Amino acid sequence: MTEEQKTVAKSPGSNRWVGQSVARKEEARLLRGQGKFVDDYRLQGTLHVKFVRSAYAHARIASIDVEQARNAPGVAVVLTGAEVAKLVQPFIEIGPDPGGKILDYPMAVDKVHFQGEPVAAVVAESIEAAEDAAELARVDYESLPAVVDAEEALTDGSVLHPSSGTNLVWQGEFEYGDVDGAFSKAAHVIEIDRLHFHRFSSTPLENNVVIAQWDASDNQIYFWCNNSFPAFAIQFLSPALGVGIDQIHFQSHDIGGSFGIKITNYPYMAVCALASRACGGRPVKWVETRTEHMTASAHGNERTFRDTRVALDGDGVITAIESRHIDDCGAYPRYEPLGCIIWAQVLPGAYRVQNMRIHFSQAVTNKCPVGPNRGYSRMQHLWFLERVIDICGHRLGIPADEMRLRNYIKSSEMPYTTPNGCVYDSGDYAAMQRIAKDLIGWDEWQSKIAEARRQGRLIGIGIGTTLDSGTNNFGQSQIINPRAPYSGQSEGANVKLDIYGEIVVSIGSVPQGQGHETTAAQVVADVLNVHPDMVKVRPGFDTDRNVHTGHSGTYASQFAVTGLSAVHGAAAKLKSELSRLASFALGANEDDLEFGVGTQGPEVKDNKSGKSINYWGLANLVNVNNAGLPPDLDVTLNCRYVYRAPFKVPDIQRKYGNLTLTYAAQLHIAVIEIDRETYIPKILGYVAVDDCGRVVNPAIVRGQVFGATAHGIGAALYEDCRYDEAGNLLASTFSDYIPITALNMPRIRYGHLESPSPFSYNGAKGMGEGGAAPVHTVCAALQDALWSSGVIVKDSHNTADSVFRALSTLGLDRGQGLGARD
Amino acid sequence: MHPGPFRYHRAASLEEAAVMLQQLGEDARPLAGGQSLVPLMKLRLAGPTDLVDLAFVPGLSYVRHEDDGGEIRFGALTRHAEIADSGAAARFPILHDCAAGIGDVQVRNRGTIGGSVAEADPSGDWAPVLLTHVTEIRCVGPGGERTVALRDFILDAYTTALGPGELVREIVMRAPPHEDGERIGGAYIAAKRCAQVYATASAAVRLTLAGDVCRDVAIYLGAVALTPVEVTAAAEALRGRALTRETIEAAADAARSGGDPQPDMRGSAEYKCALATALVKRAIEIAARRARGEQVEVSHEYA
Repeated sequence: MTEEQKTVAKSPGSNRWVGQSVARKEEARLLRGQGKFVDDYRLQGTLHVKFVRSAYAHARIASIDVEQARNAPGVAVVLTGAEVAKLVQPFIEIGPDPGGKILDYPMAVDKVHFQGEPVAAVVAESIEAAEDAAELARVDYESLPAVVDAEEALTDGSVLHPSSGTNLVWQGEFEYGDVDGAFSKAAHVIEIDRLHFHRFSSTPLENNVVIAQWDASDNQIYFWCNNSFPAFAIQFLSPALGVGIDQIHFQSHDIGGSFGIKITNYPYMAVCALASRACGGRPVKWVETRTEHMTASAHGNERTFRDTRVALDGDGVITAIESRHIDDCGAYPRYEPLGCIIWAQVLPGAYRVQNMRIHFSQAVTNKCPVGPNRGYSRMQHLWFLERVIDICGHRLGIPADEMRLRNYIKSSEMPYTTPNGCVYDSGDYAAMQRIAKDLIGWDEWQSKIAEARRQGRLIGIGIGTTLDSGTNNFGQSQIINPRAPYSGQSEGANVKLDIYGEIVVSIGSVPQGQGHETTAAQVVADVLNVHPDMVKVRPGFDTDRNVHTGHSGTYASQFAVTGLSAVHGAAAKLKSELSRLASFALGANEDDLEFGVGTQGPEVKDNKSGKSINYWGLANLVNVNNAGLPPDLDVTLNCRYVYRAPFKVPDIQRKYGNLTLTYAAQLHIAVIEIDRETYIPKILGYVAVDDCGRVVNPAIVRGQVFGATAHGIGAALYEDCRYDEAGNLLASTFSDYIPITALNMPRIRYGHLESPSPFSYNGAKGMGEGGAAPVHTVCAALQDALWSSGVIVKDSHNTADSVFRALSTLGLDRGQGLGARD
Repeated sequence: MHPGPFRYHRAASLEEAAVMLQQLGEDARPLAGGQSLVPLMKLRLAGPTDLVDLAFVPGLSYVRHEDDGGEIRFGALTRHAEIADSGAAARFPILHDCAAGIGDVQVRNRGTIGGSVAEADPSGDWAPVLLTHVTEIRCVGPGGERTVALRDFILDAYTTALGPGELVREIVMRAPPHEDGERIGGAYIAAKRCAQVYATASAAVRLTLAGDVCRDVAIYLGAVALTPVEVTAAAEALRGRALTRETIEAAADAARSGGDPQPDMRGSAEYKCALATALVKRAIEIAARRARGEQVEVSHEYA
């Protein structure tokens, strides 16, 4: 930053709008059904794609015959995986060898690696014609043994990718402090043989959609797509398709949710682009069906925690944890193996434990590839830590609240450096626990639960403490692969006065329902002292706006920090230009100028002379009426600002460094009763307390907390991407996947705390992922309900069925989730 | 939704529909509410060559309920939502339990009782409920009309006694024979993972009480076998006995082995049996309270 920008950044103008529940600008069009989603684009001459997909989880493609499909009515082109492979380079692998040797093409080439993997793309004049023709494709498969368990995959009995020769993608040892010393001094050592975090996904209202147009005349590719991290996607697509990155144009407008899952839809973008080129540059559209989305978009990471040992002192304070974590990334790594480091952003969770030794490995399996599902990689680890806390607490007879209080990092220790060098910016977990306990009525529940248990009822109360680390340092990718060309984090924004003086904001972010237009307008309104309605924020993302950076996108809980810092910086730059320009126009001293709204709209006023000039006058002077402007008055009123988060490249050898800028926290409490006859777990009370630093827009934050809570409760009790042993997905429709609905939702009591971040200009922290707090919380409450029956909650997904099996003798032998207490 | 190509026909009467279906051949399907057929076509799991739409046939949507309570007639195209709101459902709460709990609002506004019975889905809600009473299906086909008892109508999963071109015209449900002073109560409870999906298990109970003694009873399970299962052992545990905690539990326990469920995402076979037991117990209790004149609202179990 220049000295001048720093000065401007320190005087953010008024603070009237930031912090208010300003009504969302986006609502007007979305509630009227006037949102513009990718499928709403109707381009002249559009062709439609239907993918032929594998019914097998693992098989060799013996033969593929698409002649009949090619000759079917309305068909423009049919591309097989083998044909596509000749037209592209395989996608970049982020990881080093052995995972780096995996060949990932947009479609299956000679083998299929998961059920639903596309083997051919049928492109036709209508989607109906494409679907009819796709039924005529004949593919002969030779079935191969499917590997659906990551631990089994690591034995390499059946190898998915011959090019790498192993199912191991990445492994590393994360060791900090003196683990052996802590165990030798421990008062208690508690062992947990196996914990398992299940595979689930997000169910955005809008599935993946791509329109691609490869214009041969100038070799430009135009994408309309709901990918949520396009800056990254185009870095994958450019080398794969063999075009310069500036030849790839990407646009989105409204997006119906992503939750990270849409980050990895770029293979489909590639196929649509190739199909467009094959059809003379006609636009090619692919609208994913729900079954395709469930089967072959992306799922969240599944993780198994093995041989966990926990050292505690006599007071129940955890002094060391060692464990082996095996992550399952499905058939192709794609965004992985970044998840092998991202969990380490929250290595000790909310706890003070100093000594940790985690062996982390990741395997490919014959299942849908994973994508960064909301709470990505951190929630699995945080769930693990919460199970450790609860199991240890129960073993030692220390209540859940007290066990946590004894182990929490204290607010007085903030900013707190974790054993692996991450810096927790601020927070007060004990205070959040107090708020949550008050809201749920902890003490009353304790007596009600005791009474209910005397009547033989299965009822429990549980706490989940979790972190939502936001604004990630891409330098952590170098811990995975020292040659990875990524570090830091940035976002770009542009604030300008248009020719008629309108304030127009463009951002590099990719909103999917988070209200970026609204919160950006709040920030600009405060800088320029105008009303947010006077600030026009362009919806969606567009590479041609030229504001984005290589990190641009909406992921990793960061907009309130990266996006709004960029907007703030750009607005401050514009303000500084306006000030210089107004000083010239009004013949005034800059110190006497005041920004505000006059009778003719937004204006700058000279407090000495009382004269003012409105934004139209100022824009006019620069853009269309500029004769006589002094040559040294170098203003454009078109100000781009790039926010760069203050990161360093981590120490790769020690796996040490600050991996994330802000740490929002969630503390949830649930009371759950298990029906003794139906075994159905019912949530009787639920509290969600959130701390995301300074809140920019309370209504938007509240909405995201409720959404994340619903997602987490769904994951804990309903949503499960389960596969059978042959690799068939058993939940390929909503009838089996059971996304949570209003009928299944309990009433949520909401509370919040504001611990401003010292690391963001506005004190805000990124939020929205919620750290999967409900998964931890529901498991904790179930554990409390079931402890006296001798059951340990070992899986993140629990249903009436799994509770039944755990409680019956049968379940003790065969139960996959909960297990008997030894 | 992008089904395969099909021809669409609109029938003016059931007789015409029957002729059309017979002439169009076995790949033609009648379309009532479309709540099973249309999703199957969308997934291309069903690919009928022709659809004969019955929605425009007049006079098939009604609930006729004689005041003496003896008989209820449902037109085949009566939507679940209409039944839920009908006077018959107010009089026979078991009908309300069923109709108001099928799927979600959209499904109830489109789906029909005739379509549900003719589909014979193993997890369908109507069949177990109707089977606890004396129910007949009035059919119309190319050969004319006939009436089949519901217990003879459902032959297997997705298989009924309907012949080629034959359609359901009306469903007639009667209270079982009973003496003056005897009182009848019924209840239906399904456990569903969420509103839109078929039940994991369901139980329908109809009791005829003479004083405190259960003079007659019918207990059916849904979703735990290829067709609804009558659990006679459970009924025997109650018949001729006073309804006490012990007899009710004995009946519920006898229901445990009544089904032959398949494991799936809704639950393991063992769990479904256990769940059916719990539902039978609850349904008996509620049916008994209703027989005694109590107003009892029933909600399905959602988990």
